[in-house]
Amino acid sequence: MAAKRILVGSWFDLPRLGTETFAALVRREGVVYDKSMGFKFDAATDLPAAVRTLRSAGVEVEVTLRCWICGKEACEGCPYLAGCDRTRVSTYCLCGDHAPDKEVYDQYAETFGKNLEAS
Amino acid sequence: MWVERHRPKSLERMIGNEEARMALSVWLAKWKAGSKAALLMGPPGTGKTTMVNLLSKERGMNLIELNASDVRTKERLRSKMGEAMGTVSLFGERSLIFLDEVDGLAGRADYGAVEFIKESVKESLNPIVMAANDPDADEIKKLASSCLALRFRPPPPREVEMYLREIASQEGVEVPDEELQAYVAEAGGDVRQAVSLLQTRPVAAGVADRASVYKDRELTETEAFNGFFQAETKEEAARALRALSLSPFEKVREVHRAVMRSGLPPQELAQALEVVSRADLLMGKMMKAGEWRLLRYVDRLFVEELYPVVRGRGVKHAGQDDLPFPVLVRVWNDSKKIKDMSLRYAARAHTSGRSARTQDLPYVFAMSSRKPFREELERSMGVDADKDLLESYDKFLQKEAAR
Repeated sequence: MAAKRILVGSWFDLPRLGTETFAALVRREGVVYDKSMGFKFDAATDLPAAVRTLRSAGVEVEVTLRCWICGKEACEGCPYLAGCDRTRVSTYCLCGDHAPDKEVYDQYAETFGKNLEAS
Repeated sequence: MWVERHRPKSLERMIGNEEARMALSVWLAKWKAGSKAALLMGPPGTGKTTMVNLLSKERGMNLIELNASDVRTKERLRSKMGEAMGTVSLFGERSLIFLDEVDGLAGRADYGAVEFIKESVKESLNPIVMAANDPDADEIKKLASSCLALRFRPPPPREVEMYLREIASQEGVEVPDEELQAYVAEAGGDVRQAVSLLQTRPVAAGVADRASVYKDRELTETEAFNGFFQAETKEEAARALRALSLSPFEKVREVHRAVMRSGLPPQELAQALEVVSRADLLMGKMMKAGEWRLLRYVDRLFVEELYPVVRGRGVKHAGQDDLPFPVLVRVWNDSKKIKDMSLRYAARAHTSGRSARTQDLPYVFAMSSRKPFREELERSMGVDADKDLLESYDKFLQKEAAR
């Protein structure tokens, strides 16, 4: 079965996995749960543990990251994809449109300033 | 050194952990007396200290830095922190108190320092930020439950590349894409190491073999462990260990699991376990004294002393999923129960939780096959008042006694 792609910061659904798995995910591993929206991985989630729990319950998942500048999925076409453990790096990255060779450092820093002001 | 020269000058220009940076900045802007403290948790080199320094500078606050590993007792902690917590300037300006390496305190639970911090945070007139390297330590988890807890992770490779490109451009150095990507992969998320590699440029200088630097990029956790166990040379073994993005604690645990399942002959098995136990002792010492510089010796110990024993012996990484989930749940539940029991027992026997767990409880379990002993024990630990708790304790003790 193909692994379920989960974008960090986006809601996703899961089949019923039983009380113990649910409790492990939500209480211990910090997966966000909302009855109407479903589940969400965020910066506070213990991603390696959550992925392990899901795998043990028979759900294969592939974690993908969001672009900090535009919010699009960032992992597609990334030259580091094979060696990057997305459960162990911080939860935002850069997409192909804002790849490092396009001199995006200033844009990256500006986005931080804008987002901080907005929060 | 480029690492120092190009240290980020503002919070905006740091890389990685964007959400944690924003959350800490917002927390500090809204902080008032009585608010929670902040706890930054993550491996060394992920920007925790840099971030606190930049924040205090940007907000014009006086930074008071304390290293928790220098504070051995609650009294010393009180005397060091007390003044800082209760003082604001004549003009009402606040200081930012930074308590680094609180893992060191957590390792000495008996001193009550963690409880002291939790209590005193409520009375502090100045915001307190703490930093810990291991978010999975029990005492850190306890502390995290009463703080704004923020996880720090290494930045993803593309952000490290962006940072290196910026530095290369400021230094006026032309670096081919392939070479730059090799340094990013080699550093494995450690920004300082990536910058040092860019400065020394081993690939360009022909010091490092380009293919070997690239090799690290392709390694998964299992491949890296197997790369270590099956390496042809010590250098290759060291490279495989470096390619692992696991915390040192996980590294030691995984090596232990692999050795235990290796089927090595008794003599080699004893030798290998001896090395693993020394690595474990080193980690314990590091935690207790907060001496994080010892981290580097863990890899060295494995390369110099474990690798020659396991080399060519078919040892393999044990993998993550060799225990079915119901068994894992049982293991979690049992360890929770043992922890709870050891604390109750420790309070009664005037000993530490750790001594209770490692020295006393094995005998207590062995004696628990006798019902009168169990009943007396349950009474003395104060679990007899709650029927459900008593029942679960009794069942657990019987199960342990039957082992």
